[in-house]
Amino acid sequence: MDKALYISMSGAKQSMLAQRAHSNNLANVNTTGFKNDFAQARSMPVYGEHHPTRAYAMTERPGTNFQQGPLNETGRELDVAIKGEGWIAVQAPDGSEAYTRAGDLQTDSNGILRTGSGLPVLGNGGPVAIPPSAKMEIGADGTISVIPLGQPADALAEIDRIKLVNPPNDQIEKGADGLIRVKEGNPPAVIDGNVRLEPGFLEESNVNAVESLTEILSLARQYELHVKVMSTADQNSEAAARLLQIS
Amino acid sequence: MHPALYVSKTGLSAQDTALTTTSNNLANVNTTGFKRERAVFQDLLYQIKRQPGGLTSQDSELPSGLQVGTGVRVVGTAKEFTQGSLQVTEQPLDIAVNGRGFLQVLLPDGNISYTRDGQFQLNSNGDIVTANGHPLEPAITIPENTSSITIGTDGTVSTLVTGDTAPTVIGNITTVDFINPQGLEAIGNNLFRETGASGDPQEGTPGLDGLGTLEQGMVESSNVEVVEELVNMITTQRAYEMNSKVVSTADQMLQYISQNI
Repeated sequence: MDKALYISMSGAKQSMLAQRAHSNNLANVNTTGFKNDFAQARSMPVYGEHHPTRAYAMTERPGTNFQQGPLNETGRELDVAIKGEGWIAVQAPDGSEAYTRAGDLQTDSNGILRTGSGLPVLGNGGPVAIPPSAKMEIGADGTISVIPLGQPADALAEIDRIKLVNPPNDQIEKGADGLIRVKEGNPPAVIDGNVRLEPGFLEESNVNAVESLTEILSLARQYELHVKVMSTADQNSEAAARLLQIS
Repeated sequence: MHPALYVSKTGLSAQDTALTTTSNNLANVNTTGFKRERAVFQDLLYQIKRQPGGLTSQDSELPSGLQVGTGVRVVGTAKEFTQGSLQVTEQPLDIAVNGRGFLQVLLPDGNISYTRDGQFQLNSNGDIVTANGHPLEPAITIPENTSSITIGTDGTVSTLVTGDTAPTVIGNITTVDFINPQGLEAIGNNLFRETGASGDPQEGTPGLDGLGTLEQGMVESSNVEVVEELVNMITTQRAYEMNSKVVSTADQMLQYISQNI
């Protein structure tokens, strides 16, 4: 049998996987702080006793596009967006430290500052707790100041500072839960004083909808080409079989 | 089947929920004391098809694996308790809370619910009640032959009975605050109920301890921003259209392979 049949099968299969990665990007076109994933194919030669003309395709996710998404003004005092590079440190459900750009913060009944999806935001020493307060302000460097209940406006006190980090992009990756973590073998991220917050704003998803949709449509056409090669390989082997038939 | 079908399906249903939230906000653009909601999106789990960092040989490892996402979902709707604009009505029983705090309303089942809607009326007993007839808590009864009612910014209610020369204080309206108002459960009729997420109600005198003042003769309008909601509607619609395009593309791919092999 000609290996072309298997080759085009792998192509079709891998373009379906790549298409799924792109459709995930498109599904998250409105998700706050979402960073879109890349998908690429790598060639994997078929080894054996023949001309090295055949190569399988292997889809990979070489990484995530960490480019800044557009900032959207909400005016809510607990919404923060990161201007430029950097990440907000949160505590993942497994207790580890993870990073996100989704700054739609809220407080729970115990005053713990959490992200919109419920993860505690980390401060100078563990999760940030906000005491009952009349007014709360988040500064550009993550400093949280409050006017405690029953105090005059000049009693504004600094209570904590959101842990903002900026590890190099090649040392971080997106985990299976959509949160960003430092890759194994790299030093843990330290507080970076240069990361700037923009209170009252949210960062939108950085998915380019037109690009993702075009990619999906082009992958659909590539898929049809793979199917076409499959049927051609089928016709070839049919013709060969007919020639070899003893009449 | 084609996994992109299911991924784009999650996109469609999340945009659906977002549109429901937007349309509910727009429908309540004129509801007194209404607080707008926002749909919170989150990406779903990623499936690891090939582990990044997996060893390809003893000395080399995969620089990047293959993790494919499974879509998106709406994890919740966040109420935004920003102040709505105050509107002067000149009605003596219209009260607006200017700042933090909720008015308390006694429900027929004996529970207390909380509201920012301060359009009160009198029932046949002279009790101050909401438009649905639920009494204000603590209950305040206006005596007969009252010629004027004054509600102070700290909640003191005083009335002047015809024939008297000095007003009499007949009660105090208190307001409550929650550490996390977003955790309140909206039960309709402009009312909220306490939950585990909101924390316990902390009762106080309006104007003190961070609570807002009471303003007589005013109501708080809805805090829905019409332009913002319409823009949200447009982006939601476009995201919906693009996700539905992916559904039809994935479907055409399946159709093509079943017809051509």
